[in-house]
This record gives sequence, structure tokens and C-alpha cells, in this order.
Amino acid sequence: MTNSAVRMTGVVKRFPGVVANDGVNFEVLKGEVHALLGENGAGKSTLSNILTGLYRPDEGTIELNGAPMSFASPKAALDAGIGMVHQHFRLVEPFTVAENVILGNQETPFLIDAESIIDRVNELAARYDMAVDPNAKIWQLSVGEQQRVEILKVLYRGAQVLILDEPTAVLTPIEADALFRTLRAMTAEGRTVIFISHKLDEVMSVSDRITVLRGGRTVGTVATMDTSTRELASMMVGRSVEFSRVVRRNPGVPADVVLSLSQVNCDDDRGRHALHDVSLTVGRGEIVGVAGVAGNGQRELAEVIAGMRSSTSGRIAVAGNEVPNGKARAAIAGGVAHVPEDRLHTGLAAGHSVEDNMALKNYRTPLLSKFGLLRRNVIATQASDLVTKYDVKTPDTATPVRLLSGGNVQKVLLAREFSTRPKVLMAASPTRGLDVGAIETVRGRLVEAADDGVGILLISEDLEEIMSLADRIVVIYEGRLVADMPAADATREQLGLLMGGAKMEASR
Amino acid sequence: MKSPIRLERRLKQPRWLNWAIPFISLLGALIVGAVVLLATGKNPLDVYWRILDRGFLSKRSITGTLRTATPLAFTGMCAAAAFRLGVINIGGEGQLYVGAVGAALVGLWLGGSVPVGITIIVMVVAGMLFGAMYASIVGVLRSQFNTNEIITSLMMNYIAGIILNYLIFNSRSYWRDPRSVGFPSGKPLDERAHWPSYELFGFGVSFGFLIAVVAAIVLWIIYKRSRLGFEIGIIADSPRAARYVGIRTKWTIVAVTAMSGALAGIGGASQVGDFAHYLDAKGLQLNNFGYTGIVVAALARLNPLGAILVAVLLGGLTNAGYSLQGPDFPSGLVGTLQGLILFTAVAGEILTKYRLRANRAASKAVTA
Amino acid sequence: MNSNIFIVIAWSAIFYGTPLFFAALGGVFTERSGVLNLGVEGMMLIGGVTGAWASLHVGGSAWFTLSAAICIAMAAGAVVAALHAFLCVTLKANQTVAGLSITIFAGAVGLSSYFANIWKVAEDPVTRQIRRLDVFGLADTPIVGPLLFNHTILTYLSWVMCAVASWYLFRTKIGLQLRAVGESPQTADAMGINVVKYRYIHTMLGGALAGLGGAFYSLAIVPTWVDGMTKGAGWIAIALVIFGFWRPGLTLLGAYLFGALQSLGTVLKSRSFDIPGDVLDALPFVMTIVVLVLVSTRFAHKRIGAPAALGVPYEREER
Repeated sequence: MTNSAVRMTGVVKRFPGVVANDGVNFEVLKGEVHALLGENGAGKSTLSNILTGLYRPDEGTIELNGAPMSFASPKAALDAGIGMVHQHFRLVEPFTVAENVILGNQETPFLIDAESIIDRVNELAARYDMAVDPNAKIWQLSVGEQQRVEILKVLYRGAQVLILDEPTAVLTPIEADALFRTLRAMTAEGRTVIFISHKLDEVMSVSDRITVLRGGRTVGTVATMDTSTRELASMMVGRSVEFSRVVRRNPGVPADVVLSLSQVNCDDDRGRHALHDVSLTVGRGEIVGVAGVAGNGQRELAEVIAGMRSSTSGRIAVAGNEVPNGKARAAIAGGVAHVPEDRLHTGLAAGHSVEDNMALKNYRTPLLSKFGLLRRNVIATQASDLVTKYDVKTPDTATPVRLLSGGNVQKVLLAREFSTRPKVLMAASPTRGLDVGAIETVRGRLVEAADDGVGILLISEDLEEIMSLADRIVVIYEGRLVADMPAADATREQLGLLMGGAKMEASR
Repeated sequence: MKSPIRLERRLKQPRWLNWAIPFISLLGALIVGAVVLLATGKNPLDVYWRILDRGFLSKRSITGTLRTATPLAFTGMCAAAAFRLGVINIGGEGQLYVGAVGAALVGLWLGGSVPVGITIIVMVVAGMLFGAMYASIVGVLRSQFNTNEIITSLMMNYIAGIILNYLIFNSRSYWRDPRSVGFPSGKPLDERAHWPSYELFGFGVSFGFLIAVVAAIVLWIIYKRSRLGFEIGIIADSPRAARYVGIRTKWTIVAVTAMSGALAGIGGASQVGDFAHYLDAKGLQLNNFGYTGIVVAALARLNPLGAILVAVLLGGLTNAGYSLQGPDFPSGLVGTLQGLILFTAVAGEILTKYRLRANRAASKAVTA
Repeated sequence: MNSNIFIVIAWSAIFYGTPLFFAALGGVFTERSGVLNLGVEGMMLIGGVTGAWASLHVGGSAWFTLSAAICIAMAAGAVVAALHAFLCVTLKANQTVAGLSITIFAGAVGLSSYFANIWKVAEDPVTRQIRRLDVFGLADTPIVGPLLFNHTILTYLSWVMCAVASWYLFRTKIGLQLRAVGESPQTADAMGINVVKYRYIHTMLGGALAGLGGAFYSLAIVPTWVDGMTKGAGWIAIALVIFGFWRPGLTLLGAYLFGALQSLGTVLKSRSFDIPGDVLDALPFVMTIVVLVLVSTRFAHKRIGAPAALGVPYEREER
């Protein structure tokens, strides 16, 4: 009892149309790393947002060190010693590290004394083994360094309980190990860490105890040493699941090239060189996985192939025909399908109906429009056919896609892309944020398409996904392809090193 | 401190709101207006009754109302057309002036020398072209350089006003009547360049108003049924999705801005052809048709057919304002009321996105 | 006064630039908090008409009357700005349309003109106007005299304000928090900064400064009330905020550049230079467009200080 750092009892939080937390019980002991495990949509983020005062629970109680608490705001929670490191960093980009660290701190004097703040930040960073320059601007830092700033922020405020929301999603394996060391240093001093994740392996390796959430309810709390990934997985999804290497009906034909890039270069939105001499081929029916940590040129790679971005040099060909540079319509007509990472606002027009979105790629064809006027009835028929065929759950085809669940949004997108009968399909993080059932459907569709002869470029940060689906794996690092190997030869460790910038020779 | 109401996001927008919001807005504006009137020592019921009487209750007043509604319908559609794409063209005012300049030019040039029908058609086309060209400067700057179109289009309004002054007051231009010596004014059009007007149900309806109705229908079809309308909708919803499917966003921005300017340009042409019959530099600048068009578009919720109705409504208000203006009906009152209507329309938009909910006092918060 | 034309123009640049600077500085504060205010023109006009009214109707010494007029003009601007904040911050309305509606509501043919009519402000010229000072008796010193020592009290105030504003924005804790609110309200909120309060206060501060700028027109430049007398100055001020990269110092320089352009017409006409007056009148507006294009092309890819959350309503419970 006295050892309890945080205790939440019967917490209920409702949002219009959903109950995000439905009677959650959750207790964390002082000085432990406690993992909060669950699928997307299980209610982990809502729970942590309640704990940090961003949301107020509709029902239930929160106790901090045994005393009941109710936080009116994140500030109140922070003042009480609960700090959160969000998945999407809460940092002010043009500010320096030091400015971000002192932001909102009441003890900061009215006139900012830069010197003493920098000393304090340096001291904290050294104590927990986090290298970061207090004078650097946030936008100059790598993602891993930005995360350290987030942690410094809450430590500077003297937080005793730290909540980390999916902290490793953006890190290389090496950076993740460094993070785990920092967490250990903190619990050794008696601080408490709540570690939110849906990755079984890392939960097993970092935590002392684990609480599993499913569908907004607590499934149970277990000690890490008494459980296994298998048991956790079945607690998390409610049944046992196994992801293993897929079995292909028709193996790909790498020699029959459907997509080829040779020496492609391009710039990013800020005009910096983003792709360096990228050469790549995808064969008919072949699944090529592009592994890499987010922000290493994946987006630019997909956009260049899709014609959304102009290359500065190099050439791209689909089934032997060169695609004009930076012409999305030409790429589409040439047989390039694209499932972008940002489904709702790039792949789809979120405020438009399912019907309109299904027609997004072919509304200009004579089938769907004549004399510049749309044939609305044909568009409606096309949409309802695709909805049936791909089993999209929607009230009707006039419903805006933003109201659909994540899995159904992805189904709309896949249905439309496959309906264009592509030769090549690029899929960027196609299962991110989906629940297990939807993940299986989406992966099944990709494999099915490959079996039918579509060449697939699978761009993903999820090594598990790439290793189970791809025939061949390339690794992208700082805009360069640094490795190209058959999936059968690849190991997690080797890929992890390559993604972190290790040289090919060194990894061997 | 906690507000007594809170906003809850709506998932779906009920259809009835499309009609209810403008009426709620109007009602809200009248109530707030009444407060302003009371505070400044006027009787609101008396003021409102006189506006109703002078704006809508006789054949003569309705004729005057439709006359004022004509330019407002065009500037309203001008604003609505661009706003739909997310391009905030508030240059309707200047585009209307320039349209008038273009129509007056060809009207003076052709009037009497070619058949009436041709003169009128060419005047309409000239108004469109001049308005479109003037507006497309704004469109090109926005699409090529991402220059803030709100400020550029507004600056262009002031420049257009200066052009009008120059043409009539400060130069010996083609538009100026050489016989007007002491007080300069525009050269009158030949009578065979005057636009016709019609008698419908006893009201005088100008040719320009009929064009406005036709334009509204065309515009409505473009939005609802055409490929261009589809593309405009996608760009407004998500520019990234537009790039993803290869819609030529830059071209569309220029085209729509030009179309928007063309609509205001016809409004200007109608001022010359229907009503003034010369380039009336002073009269055009007096009425703020362009700015009121923004009110029209907002209240019509960017629907072109709605813009016609709202233009008649605000035309009545403006028309009543003219005929009542005097010591106990000060100028600025009508503008204030219009501003209030726009205000409440903006605030009313919130009802489409949110539901208002009472905040229960039960959730006591401890501020640590 | 020294009649050298360059000195006249330089002096006029400062004189005509002063109200532009007040309004633009207000815009810097408002936009730094993440609120876009397109209602500046309307707020200036309300400040102008209330200031003119007060100078006619508030008794007492000239100093007292004018101080009261300035305070009333600033308060009136702040009240109109509070309406804007209510629409944009509380109701999360579209900030562009909200600002436009403020300008139409309060603007040249709206409330400012209505007030002028019912208060009969326009009928009498403002008897107590803000006059130029002869600071330390140095106004007659060649060159620097007219430039530095022969301005109204408000111009000197504006220099102080420029320095204070820079210090406030970049050296104090409140300034840091204000900038955080404009850059990333999510972050600011998570760090316990009251986003709503910061946005209300700085929008109202912006309105007060716009009101002060308006009063400068009706009390010092013209000095009497004329409907729509700011003639687009509010819009130029909005462009100046961009031109000044959201920094007080650069904004001051920009204001003087546009002040010079505005005064060129008057100055050159009075000396019968053979340039059409209309061309000169159009100059500030053309220059605004040119400057905006330059700013948006040359620096489009770099971070130049536009608050990242400018124009975006902040909503906490986003799902």
C-alpha cells in the first residue's frame, strides 16, 4: 500500500461515439518500470492522458502515493510529480533545448538567466547518460536526441513518475538500448516509469511488471519474470496469434522487372538532398521490403516513384517504360499504385465520401465522366461494388471516410488502388495503427496481389512486418540504399545495425 | 474558472443545419443590432420596421432592392467561388471596378455602331475578361509564389479605386466626358448600348440580374457535377490528396481565381450597362459592393444559388438604408448591421462542427 | 523646419510610419500568440473615432484630454479585439473570416461611421490635437533636429515600445511562453501554460495598439475624423508584420519605409514635381504586394519566424 506510486480505480472515459476507458484498474509501485501493454485503440493513450491531467475521467479515482488526486490540467499533474513523454513530441521546434526545458516552469525567474539553465540541463543530462547540447535548436536534433529533451523536461520539473508513450517507435535499436539504460538509472534513484507499448519483445526486456489493456478494460497485471510473449499476446488480442513468414502461392519473378529506379536523386520539402543515387528494381510478383528508421528518405522515395515529387536526376521506369518526371497522372496511368503512409489526408480526401474517394484515381476516365461532367450513378455503382468486394464496413457509400475506423479506411484505399489494376504497388507502413484483425487482412491482400503478379515495394519501419512478408530487403539510411539482400539471409540484428548507419562490412 | 457551456465535436453534420444556420445567424444579428440601437438611443423595432417597409413591402421598393441585389449577387458568387477552393479572394471590390472599366470601354466604342445584342454581349464578355485578368494576378501570385492572397487582393482593391479616379477625375482618358469641365464625369454610353430591363410580376428586373441567376445555376452545376468541381473539392479538402492524384493545383487556383474575378467583372459591367450608363467612378466606390459580397457568400454558406437569395435580402437592407438615410437614420447603420450578420454567421458555423453542451458542475477539479 | 526635401521625407516617414508601427506591433503580439487578426483596419477606425470623440468631449487640461482620448481609443480597440478573440479562441471560428467580419462590422461604412454620425464627431475639427514637441529645444538643430527632436509624444512612445516589445518577447519568461503558444499550443498546454489566456490577452493588446494607431490618424495626422480615414493602413500593417518577420525592430523599419511611401504623394505634390498624384497614391499598395511576393519567394523554404500555429484554432481533446 505505502509502496504504491499510482493507483487508478474504475476509470471511465467516454468520447462522442466511443468509450475509450471502461472501468480500468491500474496500480504502479514506486521504483519499478511498469509496462502498459495493449493494441492501438485499447485505451492506453487515453489512460495516460487522464493520468497527466489532459483529460478528466468521467468516473473513477486516481491516487498518487496513496492520496486521492484529481488533476485539472497537465500543469497540475506535473506539479504533483507526474510527467509524460509523448509519442509525438511536445517540443517547440525553433526554440533551443534549454528553452524547451524551462518552458512553463514556475521557478524560472521573470528574466531568463540562460547561463544557470544551461548548467542545470548539462548536469541532469550527464547524470542520466543523455548526450544533448543545451544550445542546439530542436529542429537541428535527431529524433533520438529530441526524445532526450522530452525526458530532460520532465526530470527538470522533478517528476517522480515518468510516462513514456511508445518511446521506441522512432528509435534505432541502438538508441533504444541507450533509452533503456537511462530508464534503469532513473528507477535506481527511486523514480517510477510507466512504459506504454504494443511491442511484446521490448516490454519483456525493459519492464518489471506489465498491465495489459484490451478494448478499454484491464485484462490483468503480471510480473514480467512470470510470463512469456505468447501469454502476453493472447492477453492482448484475446486469442492466440502467430506472425510467421508467409507462404506464397506464386513466387515472384525478379528477372521480369516491373519497377526500376536508376541513380535517382531528389530534394525534400526544405530543399535538402533527400535521396542519393538510389537504384532499385522490383520484379513481377516480388515483394521488396524497404527497411529503415523513419525520416531517412522513405517518404521522398515513395513520392518520387508516385510522381508526386520531381527527381533532380536519374530515371524511373515501370514495366520498361520510362515515367515522366514528377507527373502523378502519368505514373498512375503507367500502372503505379500507392498506399501512402498518411492514408487519411494523402491517400484519401478525408472529408469526402467513400464514393468520391473510390473514384479519386479514375474519375477522369470516359467511364466516369463525359464532357467534363461526372457520371454520378456510375461512380456510385463502382463504389458499392468495391465496398462489397473488399468488405468495407460503412453505413453507406455517402459517408465521409474520416468517420470510418482505421482498418476500414485502409480497406477503402487498398480497394481503390487494386481496382486500378496496377503493375507496381507501393505501400508505406500499411499496417501501422491497425488492430490485429485488420493487419491480417491488409497483409493477406498484399500477398494475394503479389501472387497475382503485382510487384510490391513495402516501405516499413516494422522489421517484423518486412521480415515476414518480403522476398528481398533493402535498407535505407540517410537517403541511400545501404544494403540489398534476400529476406531469407537477413537477421534482425544485422538489419538493426544497418538501419542505424553501420557499414555493410561491419555488420557482417 | 470554467465556462458554463462546452463544445462537443459533431461527428456528422445534420442537413437541416444548412438552412437553419443562416436564419439563426440573421436572428442573432437582429438581436445584437437591437442592443446596439438601444444603447445609442434608437428604437430597434421602429428601425427594423422601416427597413422592412422600404426594402421589401412595395413593388417600387422591391424593384430597388433587386437593383441593389444585382451587383451583390455577382460579388457574392465571386467570393463564394474562390472561398470554395480555400482561396480567400476579397478583391471582388476591385475586380468589379475593373469589369466596369472594360465594359464601359467596349460599350463606348461599339455602342450605336453594331447591333444592340452584339454590343451587350461584348460588354458582358469584356467585363468578365477584365475582371478575370485583374483577379488572375492574385491567383498567379498565390499559386507561383504562395503569396498571401488576402492581402494582395485587398491591395488590388485600393489600386483599382485609384485607377478609377485617374480615368475619370485626373486624366483626359477615353472614359471621361470631355464636356464635363467643372465636375468631371464619365462619358455617357450610346442608348443602343443600354441593357434591357424586364417587367416580371410587376417588378422591374434588370438584364444583369437575369445573368446572375443563370451564372448561379452554371456555377452550381460546376460544383455538383463537373470534374473541375470535383477537383476543387479535393484541393480544398486536402491539398496533399490533390497532389497524390495529380490534380494540377496551381492551374486550378489560377483558373478559379480568374473565374471568381470574371463574376465580379460582370457585376461591374452590369453597373455600367444596366444602371449608370457611364463609368461612374464615384458611385462604384460608394457602395462597397465587393465587401458586402463577402457577407453574402458567408451567409449563403458558399452556395451560389443561396447567394442570389441572400443578395436580395442584403440588397433590401442596403436599399432601405439609401432611401432612409438622414439625421435619424445615420450612415454606417446598414454597414454595422451587415457586419453583425457576418459576425453571427461566422459564429453560427460553429454549430455545424460542435454541439453545445452544458458543463455539469459535478466534476469538481482540484487545482494542485 | 528645415526644408531640405530629403529631411522632409525622412521626417514624414517617421510621422506617417508611427501609426503603421503601432498597428503592426499589435499584429506582432497577436500573431505571436497564434491568432491571425485581419480585423486591424476595423480596430484602427474604432480607435480613431472614439479618440476623436474623447478629444471633443472630455474636459480638463489638454494633456488630460489627450491622455484620456488615447486611453479610450486603446480600450475601444481592445474591446473589438476581444470580440475577435471570442470568435477565434473560444468559438474556434475560421480566423480569416472572423477578422474580415470585424473589419466589415467596425470598418469604414460600419460601426465607426455610425458612431461618427450619432456622436457628430465629423462636424467639428479636433480642437485638441497631438502636436509635435520641441525636445530639449533641439528641433532646429540641422538635420538631426527635425528627424529626432521634433515629433509627437506618441512617436517617442513608439520607440520605447519597440525596445520594450523586443525585450518582452525574447528576454522574459512570459515572452518565451507567448512564443511557445504561437508555435505549438499543444506543447504549451502540456507544460501548463494557459493557451486561451495568452491568446485573449495578446489579441486584446494587439487591438489596443491598433486603436492607438487609429487615434494617431484622427488626433495627429489629419487631425479630425473622416469616415474610413485610415485608407487601408490596417491592411498594410498586417503585411508589415510579415515583412518584419514577426520582430518589433524590423517592423519599425518597415513601417518607416511605408510611411515614406505614403508621404511621398503629399510631399512631392506640394513641391509641384511632375509625377501623377495617382501613381504616388498607389505606391504603398503596389509596394506591399511586391514586398509580400519577395518575402514569400526568397524565404519560402526557410524558417523566417512565422509562428507555426498561426491561424490554427487550438483544440485540446482531439480525436
